[in-house]
Amino acid sequence: MSQELQSVAELFQAGNEIDGFRIGEEVHRGGMAVLFEAYKEGVDYPLLMKVPRIGRDQPVESLIGFETELILMKAIKSPFVPRVAGTGNMGRKPYIAMEKISGQSLQDLLEVQNGRIDSIDDVVQIAANLALAIASLHAQDVIHLDLKPENILLGPNHQVYLIDFGLAHHTRYPDLLAEEMRKGVGSAPYISPEQVMGIRNDWRSDIYSLGAIMYEMLTGEFPFGNPSSLSGLRKRMWSQAIPPRVLRKEIPAWLQELVLRCLEPYAADRYQSATRIRQLLKSPESITITARGENLLPPSLWENIKLWFKAAGYEPSSCPKPSSAQDNAPLIVAAIDTRSHDEVLRERMQQTAKDLLYAYPESRLICLSSITGTPTFEGDDEADTATGIVRGHLVQLMDWAKPLKLSSERVSYHVLEALDPAARIVEFANDNHAAMILIGASHKIPNKVAPWRTSMTKIVEEAHCSVHIVRA
Amino acid sequence: MAYDGRMNFSRKIALFADLHSNLEAFEACYQHALEHGVGEFVFLGDLVGYNADPVAVLNRIMDLVAKGSAYAILGNHDEAIFKDHSTQMNAHAWQAIQWTRSQVNADHVEFLKNLPLIHQAEDVTYVHASAAKPEKWPYLDSGLAAWHCAEAAQTTYTFVGHVHEATVYYQSTVGKLMRFQPHAGEAVPMSRHRRWVSVAGSLGQPRDGIPQAAYAIFEPEEEQTTFFRIPYDHYRSADKVMRAGLPQALANRLLTGQ
Repeated sequence: MSQELQSVAELFQAGNEIDGFRIGEEVHRGGMAVLFEAYKEGVDYPLLMKVPRIGRDQPVESLIGFETELILMKAIKSPFVPRVAGTGNMGRKPYIAMEKISGQSLQDLLEVQNGRIDSIDDVVQIAANLALAIASLHAQDVIHLDLKPENILLGPNHQVYLIDFGLAHHTRYPDLLAEEMRKGVGSAPYISPEQVMGIRNDWRSDIYSLGAIMYEMLTGEFPFGNPSSLSGLRKRMWSQAIPPRVLRKEIPAWLQELVLRCLEPYAADRYQSATRIRQLLKSPESITITARGENLLPPSLWENIKLWFKAAGYEPSSCPKPSSAQDNAPLIVAAIDTRSHDEVLRERMQQTAKDLLYAYPESRLICLSSITGTPTFEGDDEADTATGIVRGHLVQLMDWAKPLKLSSERVSYHVLEALDPAARIVEFANDNHAAMILIGASHKIPNKVAPWRTSMTKIVEEAHCSVHIVRA
Repeated sequence: MAYDGRMNFSRKIALFADLHSNLEAFEACYQHALEHGVGEFVFLGDLVGYNADPVAVLNRIMDLVAKGSAYAILGNHDEAIFKDHSTQMNAHAWQAIQWTRSQVNADHVEFLKNLPLIHQAEDVTYVHASAAKPEKWPYLDSGLAAWHCAEAAQTTYTFVGHVHEATVYYQSTVGKLMRFQPHAGEAVPMSRHRRWVSVAGSLGQPRDGIPQAAYAIFEPEEEQTTFFRIPYDHYRSADKVMRAGLPQALANRLLTGQ
């Protein structure tokens, strides 16, 4: 076996060619793998070739990690993960040829800025993009399990790429790392309490890591330090992190609320989907701020003792499949015709929305109205200006949703400007990964009103999600 | 794993286990396999029993074996055709065996008698129940049973039937075999430096509540196996079971997939 393994190092050397890939300069030598530049005819993006380090002193986990990454990267289809141009056989010539992302890692950015990100707006933007990238993995039943600033690459406009899937888990493939891993493998500052316990199939571990990364970007500190012992790692199962606002006053309360909720020791107490976190980062006004967000004092000794007792019997939350996060926190888009005066239909739609929201406690409602356009030349009356028209529609939408008695966290209102309302509604729903579009069909609209009928057909045909048509 | 665009002329071997005289399920899977470029078939035993088309199914298999594009292994239901299994089977199963005996001819029985218990080719073992004591028909239902099987087989890959639900057991570096439930239609990468024991799933009598036929395609060069579920006219098969005068419960099993 060692004969065969020795040859791997000889196989992958600058100047050699493997499966049509020309190996260039070595660009990085990490603990587990070596990265080379690579070129291949017909591949029009820059390439990196990742090869595992094989040798006497390498831990066996590193090779299994490489095998895991090879299998998963081939399977993942995401705009937030480098593309794979080719892979080699694990036994004979293990390599992954992947897209080389130009840009720095979040770790580099943090170092340049002395450990924390200067602009809070930048933190919010990076975190929102990170949430989107994580959501795209979860939607494919992939959990990263090793999210940390080193594994996050930043492109232009804070675009985010996730790398290093050596510890990742995919529901559809045998988990080669299950049982092999000693408890708590991962990066101490970022791994979730359930990972400390050795659990590898809870997608909310990524939500926890996202929280830890946000905490670091904001404060320059780790929420629970960088412990090297198991007992040090266990602290996150009971203790509370120092509220970020204690360390940096200008952090808004809503952001502290969001970060600390991601860091909840029990997965079931965190936000249940990355999509949801992205939505909240994009519209923070819908976050309900509790004492957790307002708090400006570090936890007292007494509080910590109480929490310690509570966590003495820490039992990780039970967890279904990662992609079910989308299903359990569905986004429902209600397309509301503010011009309609059909009271029966209005009530039926409200009732349907209410029932759906009641069934899924983590669901959210977006009330949509579309207008064909705002005037180019504005009148003097507020009602005639672009903002005035939009505001008028918003008021009507809020009025529509009032009887549903929803907290601001669960409902938002949008007025879309579009010549083709159906196309715009579908686009909006698809962009936001909506689970359902709710539309009303009134019998009071005479059949000859063809445009409305065709737009309903269009929504039904083109939406990626379910469409619920409410009849009056 | 999704098709990666490369031209692919590699070997594809279809694994048909526990067909149990179900002609409709056989035809549906056979068609599906051909469409997927399968050139070789391995029948992992239990060709007959339970359902109503032993003659037609055996004729199809014997034909493929004669042409050299298939290999067949003996299962316990096949053995029951020429040996007394009355004490090892439940009443319905034994009733179906007795009925099957009345249907098949001497050539069929001769074919079954000549089936091997186990077949090894290169680094692959094919066996109905387990490579460990195959003649005792043990059920491969745990990591430990899979470990015994892999130890006895001493090959990289082992494919079995007998247990009706598709399952993959894979070797960890500590040697232990871990269990994985494959997702239908999604290729499971099976690299050669580990040992793999796979249960193909039952073609003729699925029991996981889904009335679809199960089979798998093994691609040795690609080092992967894909487990499929194929819808077929199970109403027709169930109807035939009733008409043949076989126990109603056996027809119900096809309808409910249990």
